[in-house]
Amino acid sequence: PTRKALRKVNATKQTLAPDVIAKRTKRHLDELERSNYTEPSITLDDDDEAPISGKNRVRQIVSDKRDPNAKKKKSSTKVRTALLYRKNLATLIEESRITALPSHIPTYLTAAAPPPQVPSRLLCSVCGYKGAYKCKKCAMAYCDMSCESVHAETRCERRVI
Amino acid sequence: MQPQTTVILDNGASTIKAGLIRRTEGDDDDDQPKLIPNAIVRSKGDKTTYFGHQLQRCRDYSALHYRLPFEKGYLVDWDAQKAIWDGVFSSEVLNVDTAESSLLITEPYFNLPNIQDVYDQFVFEEYEFHSYHRCTPASMIPYGRLFQAGGPSPPECLVVIDSGFSFTHVVPIINNQIQWYAVKRLDVGGKLLTNQLKELVSYRQWNMMDETYIMNHAKETCCYVSTRFLEDIQTCRSNPKQNSIVQEYILPNFSTNRHGHVRVPGEELPATDQVLHMENERFTIPELLFRPDDIGLEQSGLATTVAASISLLPDDLRGMFWANIGLIGGSTNFPGFYERLSSELLSLTPVEYDLQIYRSEDAVTEAYRAALAFVKDPTFSTHVVTREEYLESGSNASRRKFPGWQSSGLTGDPEISKVVHESTIEERGQPSKKPSRSRMRANTTSGRRR
Repeated sequence: PTRKALRKVNATKQTLAPDVIAKRTKRHLDELERSNYTEPSITLDDDDEAPISGKNRVRQIVSDKRDPNAKKKKSSTKVRTALLYRKNLATLIEESRITALPSHIPTYLTAAAPPPQVPSRLLCSVCGYKGAYKCKKCAMAYCDMSCESVHAETRCERRVI
Repeated sequence: MQPQTTVILDNGASTIKAGLIRRTEGDDDDDQPKLIPNAIVRSKGDKTTYFGHQLQRCRDYSALHYRLPFEKGYLVDWDAQKAIWDGVFSSEVLNVDTAESSLLITEPYFNLPNIQDVYDQFVFEEYEFHSYHRCTPASMIPYGRLFQAGGPSPPECLVVIDSGFSFTHVVPIINNQIQWYAVKRLDVGGKLLTNQLKELVSYRQWNMMDETYIMNHAKETCCYVSTRFLEDIQTCRSNPKQNSIVQEYILPNFSTNRHGHVRVPGEELPATDQVLHMENERFTIPELLFRPDDIGLEQSGLATTVAASISLLPDDLRGMFWANIGLIGGSTNFPGFYERLSSELLSLTPVEYDLQIYRSEDAVTEAYRAALAFVKDPTFSTHVVTREEYLESGSNASRRKFPGWQSSGLTGDPEISKVVHESTIEERGQPSKKPSRSRMRANTTSGRRR
């Protein structure tokens, strides 16, 4: 009888590790920062711009295309460099070396709001009502059995197809 | 020679508020800026690309592709920004010769020094402005009329809450100087709210992931901030289609109605129209400003952040901060925002202080109008960097002139506290312990707030 009980306990312990959940939340938050929606794909390119990509490395300046009839003034070197080489924010933060500043100087990185003081409330990931339960497989919240079945059929991350 | 024209650009991540002042025209300058979308938008339906202001010519709002110069609130794509600015300075919008003008332009809070250098390069090397002043939107607010309801002159200690497209900042200001050590940032802004709405609607109803323009309009039309979150969520639950909260947003269809709108009760619904049911989405979306942890963002809500910011400031000045909180930025426009913020802050305000929140008739253009007053002031020319200074010393000239967060000293400068405290003691009629210093403003009438 002891062996049977043990097996049962192990069977329910299939929850996701917290770092997996954290990674999923982070990915979700990054998606919320995008300007345009692109289908999730496995590429190294993390931004969603320029029609020129991949093999063709010649960069085109879109500001020249705005008004093809305008008289073209030659821009200074610094300006042309800024126009051609677009860096993303993460690169710029690194290059600015604000992390090397003495600790009494406030920066973009230190100015973030403090972590939450109250425990988070659970909201159903399907309908938005108060969430009461968490999915056993993927730890997303739901409120009742109908939402549970919708979740299992559509969005559950560990569903067996 | 001072230029006759000054261009004012409140260069936001979502819209640019742009306008001109010509010195010769005196008082009939336009108070209202031109609102220019700060984006290059490609419309697949129209098969055209619209640069900034040209977006108003767009016919087909579906599946618009946006290229934004700003990323997470900072200007990174200069190619796109130049294209949009070229349009703004051209005859289609402001019609200004930049080489003959001065400029006031706003930058984000905690702007990176390498990015600030590029601002200098574009202003002086590309557009050849005569001179310019670069600052944050909140630093202009003391020159404007946001706090007018509280007294004739703006308070010495105030807090500006700037909630825009990219993020929300809480900015305490003493004597027109931003107290950088106490500035806090909440990473929730209009963009995140629109994207979250797109996700919810796409999961529950129609796939709107590509419809940024339409969902942004739906958000601005239907969403509100609830003061009773749990009750509202219960109302939505109890009667799914027929309760007091649900609204139907009729999506635009490009033959009959170009713009989406909310269905008025009793309105006829042609069979071909698609409708969005906005129920708990109406208030759970803006709720993220007050509870970012609802989506797992590990930051406190706006009210707690305000309290945290004020708690970093000198003890004896905190009362003034609590009594002078101002709201700017488009994301403060949600109905119910003010009421919800007031109620949450009231429970956080120490009992000996008063709470007073000021808001403007138009939160989006408030910073612009304050900047207008700043530029019109005769001392404006002392705040600018000229092109000669830049050509001589490069970006060092602007680093000296626009000190910003890099040169903020040690936390809680005790000198500031003493100076401000003295001026408040004097006006309360008590004998001052120290002779007044030259930089304090003269006493005004007793109607002035404390």
